[in-house]
Amino acid sequence: MSNPKAEIKKQVKKHIPKDWLCELRILYRLSMETVNGIRRTGLGNFVIITTLAAILTIFGAFFRTALTMSSFAHELGSVLEISVYLKDNANAIVSKNSIQAIPHVVSVNVIPRANSWADLRREMDLPDMNNPLPDTLHVKVDAPENIEPVFNSVKKMSAVEDMSYAQDVAKKIEALNQIVNTITIFVLIIMCVLTITIINNTIQLVIQARKEEIEIMRLMGVSNWYIRFPLIMQGAFYGFTGALVALIPIHFVELGLNNMHEFFMVPLPLYTQQFVVLTMFAIGTLFGATGSFLCIKKHLQV
Amino acid sequence: MIQFRSVTKKYKNDNYALKNINLDIQSGEFVFVVGASGAGKSTLMKLLYNEERPTSGTVTIGGINIANLSNDKVPNLRRCMGIIFQDYKLLNNLSVYDNVAYVIRTLGISSKEISARVLGALKIVGLFDKMRATPAELSGGEQQRVGIARAIVNGPPLVIADEPTGNLDPKNSMEIMQILDQINQRGITVIVSTHDNAMVDYFRKRVITLDNGEIVRDIQAGTYE
Ligand SMILES: Nc1ncnc2c1ncn2[C@@H]1O[C@H](COP(=O)(O)OP(=O)(O)OP(=O)(O)O)[C@@H](O)[C@H]1O
Ligand SMILES: [Mg+2]
Repeated sequence: MSNPKAEIKKQVKKHIPKDWLCELRILYRLSMETVNGIRRTGLGNFVIITTLAAILTIFGAFFRTALTMSSFAHELGSVLEISVYLKDNANAIVSKNSIQAIPHVVSVNVIPRANSWADLRREMDLPDMNNPLPDTLHVKVDAPENIEPVFNSVKKMSAVEDMSYAQDVAKKIEALNQIVNTITIFVLIIMCVLTITIINNTIQLVIQARKEEIEIMRLMGVSNWYIRFPLIMQGAFYGFTGALVALIPIHFVELGLNNMHEFFMVPLPLYTQQFVVLTMFAIGTLFGATGSFLCIKKHLQV
Repeated sequence: MIQFRSVTKKYKNDNYALKNINLDIQSGEFVFVVGASGAGKSTLMKLLYNEERPTSGTVTIGGINIANLSNDKVPNLRRCMGIIFQDYKLLNNLSVYDNVAYVIRTLGISSKEISARVLGALKIVGLFDKMRATPAELSGGEQQRVGIARAIVNGPPLVIADEPTGNLDPKNSMEIMQILDQINQRGITVIVSTHDNAMVDYFRKRVITLDNGEIVRDIQAGTYE
């Protein structure tokens, strides 16, 4: 009664049902077994975790890049504007009116070459020289699928020197994105195989080292799952810790890509970074546990 | 309590370790299993704790046929008995106390109850003062006493000892046998396989003699030969 800590403990215990207390103790024991198993692996732990962190970093970087590229492609693809650059001798107003007559054109905005030049000089801090820019028309189209027909009609006009539209770039980025996506999936597969193999080997060594001990536990009637669980947890621990370490390099990848987004003013989809990190943790932990599980199935006949 | 019915055990290399064994052991008995090397004593013990399965016939313990027990039930069976080995099979990186406590800890029993049970078992084998030592710091006789304490800590109705004194000198062997006898006097069924004729002659218990996989003699209060 004099010890308040013991008193609180007793109070808490009273409110936990008996069998729950039992399960909690088993859970505690299993955690201790896991910690012991990890501790006994010694320096090997660092090797395994570093390797897994490297693998997860490569995957995370690819995955993150793929997401950024797809958001670029998406952003550009939704710009319904064609830039038309006129020849030096062309009349901007005449061109504007004839373009406005083309179906699906919503509006045409004239940007006189003097304005563009002033803007550019302000932004880039250029020296005084002859204005090299043409007059520009910004043509707004009503829907993405109409951009191409409009583009082709405008192209035929004699006053037009050159033109460009964002979708064009978007398509190129999209193609590149496809490649990056494919690589990401390849990296994912290789990563899974590597992770499972590394964990598999590690746990095999652990089982080898503890063969006698496990045999004794088996003979004493320790349940199969009690022997297996700490090994599976050890595998999961390596995957989880690998992901944890990989957070550092992935942070720099994120910074770089975020700067890119800011520079091009393309907003990143919400929670991208969290999604990448979560995926890394999930995959690391899951495949760590899986590698361990496969090893146990093969090498631990219980 | 234990019934063997027409039990035959053939190992993979086609030699019969046990042939048509029929055997009844009552609850509370103390039984010596003797016989020459290779007679099948260890095989008989292994059938009891399900390390081996009979090729044919049934082994029944407490009304349950363990000949085709599912794998996940085997640990339950083993926790209902205490098993003692010739080579002790202790966990060398754990203290005496932790060795004895190991299995009941996996059951989620409170540490208070664990310590009561472990200390009780250590008291029976007389190792109360060495519970912090590791197996490497103990003599062979002491290590086997740890083995016995571990076997009885869960309060099993049956204790199986396969040549528990095989690695011990006569004095230590006598101590171990006396502890097993004491355990038997608490009502626990004890089955001991041994080569040690002096011990068998001294205790005058039921003696089952195996020869070449067959029971050739089974007498109460018997001697080795
Ligand atoms: N795992 C095994 N595989 C094949 N044969 C085995 C196996 N275990 C035992 N045997 C054979 O079965 C027979 C009985 O062996 P067992 O170990 O039961 O004898 P034992 O009476 O315990 O002998 P010992 O007194 O030397 O311990 C022997 O001929 C042995 O060679
Ligand atoms: Mg033997």
